[in-house]
Amino acid sequence: MLFFSFFKTLVNHEVTVELKNDISIRGTLKSVDQYLNIKLDDITVVDELKYPHLSSVKNVFIRGSVVRYVHLPAAAVDTPLLEDATRREASQASAKAKQG
Amino acid sequence: MSFFGFDTSLPRDKPGQSSQQQSMFQQHDPFGGLRREDAGNGETLDFEDTYDGLGLKLDESGDTFNDDTFGGEEPVTRQEVGKDFDFAGQTARVRDDLLEEQVLHHARQPMQYAQPARPKKTGYEAYKEPEYIPKLEADASIWGKLSSSKKPAEPQARPDSSARKMMSVEEVEAMMRSQTKPTPPVENVDRQSQGLRDMLGVGTPSPAVAPLEQTRPPVQILQRPQQQQQAQQQPPPQQPMPEQNTRAPQILQRQHSPQQRPQSQDFHGQPPYPTQQQQPLQMPMGAPPVQPPQGHRGPMQPVSHNRGPSYNGPPITQAQQMMNMSTDEREAYLAEEAKRAKRNHKIYLLSKNNGLMTPQDKNFITRIQLQQLLTATGGVDNEPGSEEQLAEDFYYQVYAQIRGPPRSGPGQPLNQFAQTYLFQTGSRYGFGRNRGQLRGGDNHVQRMEQQVARAVEAAKARPKNKSLVVEGSLGKIAFSNSKTPRPLLNLKRADSESRVRPPRHTTVADRKAALRDIEHLYSTLMKLEDHERHMPRPPQEDSPPDEIERHIRWRSEMQALNQQLWEATKVMEPIQPAPTQPHPFISILSHPKGKKAIPRLFRHLEEQQRLTMLTLIVIHLDSLDVVRDAYPPADNTPLPGKVKDEVELFSQAVMPPLFSYVNETTLGILVGMLGLVIDRVHVQTILRTKVGVSILTMLISRAELVSQSLPSGAIVGSSGADDDKQQWSNLYSRLFDLIEPTLPHIFPTDTNVSAADDVYVWQFLAAMGVGASPEQQQRLVLGVKERVMETVGVAKSLMAAESMGGARPGGTPGGAPNGVGERKMGEVNLFMRSIGLDVELLG
Repeated sequence: MLFFSFFKTLVNHEVTVELKNDISIRGTLKSVDQYLNIKLDDITVVDELKYPHLSSVKNVFIRGSVVRYVHLPAAAVDTPLLEDATRREASQASAKAKQG
Repeated sequence: MSFFGFDTSLPRDKPGQSSQQQSMFQQHDPFGGLRREDAGNGETLDFEDTYDGLGLKLDESGDTFNDDTFGGEEPVTRQEVGKDFDFAGQTARVRDDLLEEQVLHHARQPMQYAQPARPKKTGYEAYKEPEYIPKLEADASIWGKLSSSKKPAEPQARPDSSARKMMSVEEVEAMMRSQTKPTPPVENVDRQSQGLRDMLGVGTPSPAVAPLEQTRPPVQILQRPQQQQQAQQQPPPQQPMPEQNTRAPQILQRQHSPQQRPQSQDFHGQPPYPTQQQQPLQMPMGAPPVQPPQGHRGPMQPVSHNRGPSYNGPPITQAQQMMNMSTDEREAYLAEEAKRAKRNHKIYLLSKNNGLMTPQDKNFITRIQLQQLLTATGGVDNEPGSEEQLAEDFYYQVYAQIRGPPRSGPGQPLNQFAQTYLFQTGSRYGFGRNRGQLRGGDNHVQRMEQQVARAVEAAKARPKNKSLVVEGSLGKIAFSNSKTPRPLLNLKRADSESRVRPPRHTTVADRKAALRDIEHLYSTLMKLEDHERHMPRPPQEDSPPDEIERHIRWRSEMQALNQQLWEATKVMEPIQPAPTQPHPFISILSHPKGKKAIPRLFRHLEEQQRLTMLTLIVIHLDSLDVVRDAYPPADNTPLPGKVKDEVELFSQAVMPPLFSYVNETTLGILVGMLGLVIDRVHVQTILRTKVGVSILTMLISRAELVSQSLPSGAIVGSSGADDDKQQWSNLYSRLFDLIEPTLPHIFPTDTNVSAADDVYVWQFLAAMGVGASPEQQQRLVLGVKERVMETVGVAKSLMAAESMGGARPGGTPGGAPNGVGERKMGEVNLFMRSIGLDVELLG
């Protein structure tokens, strides 16, 4: 749940979501769920000329499985905390794996 | 301006009312209207103007026994009321209005509506009896509602009658609701008695008087009844009289037989005497009591009729008045009327489904939803703030704590959610609670809270297994829920894998080992911090033994963890005399995340451990990466960015805790420390690096400070301090001798003077200068004279440029930031002052 937990903190920040079909969408992250489906508001497509059909779209719901990258606002990420969270996640995962 | 002087804006459009009437469903103050009782006193509102003429249909001939039937003014009880009159027929006439009003009530205040004042006895219980006029179909709640608050209303009614003139529709309705509760029998008496009055020819609207009294048409209409009263007291108006006298009997005749009960629609078609019908009955009995009751009873019902959502025609009430109006007025009135009809229709459409669910229903749904919410997290089933929750959602929880608004605990989000939810619902009912008149409210909130508690319990009790293995089957079923989607991969790792490493490379300080050490350090650190979070309350003298025991256990665990942490830092690894590999702790420090761990773990170390760590760092000063790698290259190229970052990180992460520790140590330790530096470290090397110089500055400046604060000379008993001082001055001389040859090279040379980051050097020189003897000071100045002059020159030219730049608006955007020259000057001066000089002296 680390990613879920992490993305939750980015709600209402501006992110750029790069999809697996190479479209990059920048918008305000409105919500994210455990499947990392993403809801963006006030979106703009980064390469708008290439995707004119998206120019009138104002908000999107992106299925988590089609996301390639999410570009984060660096200021909104607490790196040491994220490191710690990652450590926890890793130790939990290994504990679970051992447990079967 | 509406015809009636009402505020025609819809409730949602009324900003000022927001506290009172936030939504159709939420707020209504049943007493609100009472304050504006003045309406009844003729100021703004009278039902007569909006009344739709129901009373015309009354059988006026049976008045004789009214008092027998209804007990005069007394509210009627079932026992007193016989069944020998056509009560139902009259009620049936107003049935539509009642239904309308019911819908209206549902629309306006479904919440409050539920139980108000049910226990109160009214004259209406009889109507609830099923066998009693079954076709009546009136909703019992109406009666309950109607009867609810009249009694308390009256005394309160009069005092501030002057408060408001204009009433909005909402206000009028509020008043209606609170006041309308006229016990209909009495009203019937009124109506019937009205017949008498009609025959007497009094109580008709007197158009002649009206305009004199009132200036504005709407108000005028509203005021009618009062004028009538005045008219009653004055000689009766001439105009209407004859007409009335002829017509009243007609009406009476028409309505004479109960079988002739008109349909409610008929009401609207009967213009002649609409305004009169509800005139209070007191007239025949005597004038004085007329006014107040009229005030109470008058306005409410008719207005409600007009407002009734299902109202389907213009209120004939106005017909006669309309005839009296000028064309303009009439037009305005008609427009207003159309507007109102439109609005009524809209309200009707909106409120069609109102009252479909009772408050209890809504509550039930809310509770189910709430339970869903809580149990949705269910599989993970963590009570907010619990260990599991923190584990699952660590980043968010902690982040929210750190960056979010102040919150009470790590489990806040869900908790908060539930609370908000409860609060919102609570406020819904809280209104009733505050008013103390709605007994349901508290209950629901309480029940909801209990429900939440139960839901949490249930969630906790739920088995935590996420998979089910059916016996005899080959696979297992994995449960998933919103919080833990079903894992796609479930690798079973061999146990052995993690155990391969034990005693092996720990002393071999390769990179991987260092990284592993760091991770180990971090996990220990986190364990320790977790443990620290769970500190039980410190036991008091009188705390129960198990609490004390718990605290003791906690402390011993804390100590064990602390020991683990200390071991994890590897500080105590033996120092090899001729190291081929850097010390494990030093290699930990050579990684950024190792550096970042220092301030975190330093907090948990004890005094002795801190000293040990500091000592270890000092001994290995020249093998620290930030010193070793930061030695200025021979070709005077700038340091690589990575090294600079490391240096920066070191000064930000590692130095502060060390510095704060050094600031509390004694001279003896400092002397020992400096001795180690001189003996074990190549001082000339570390002097060329920022970190080395900073650490030296740190030690020397503190030593100077302490030695100066110590009493100099032969105070008995301070021989230890004197020894230290003596040692210190010896050490200082040795250090000075070591440093002197390096002085010309001590400044960073990779950039020009103006951009040089050399504060730390000036600080170091200042620290040295403070303790220097005059002869040493001279040597010191000699060593750095060139740089001093150069820096002062640069600073001066910079300052001159800045003062010129300052004249230009916006300063020098592209050039050096403002204040650089001054800053440089200040830095040099720091050193100069330490040796008793000043840059000013340099000319």
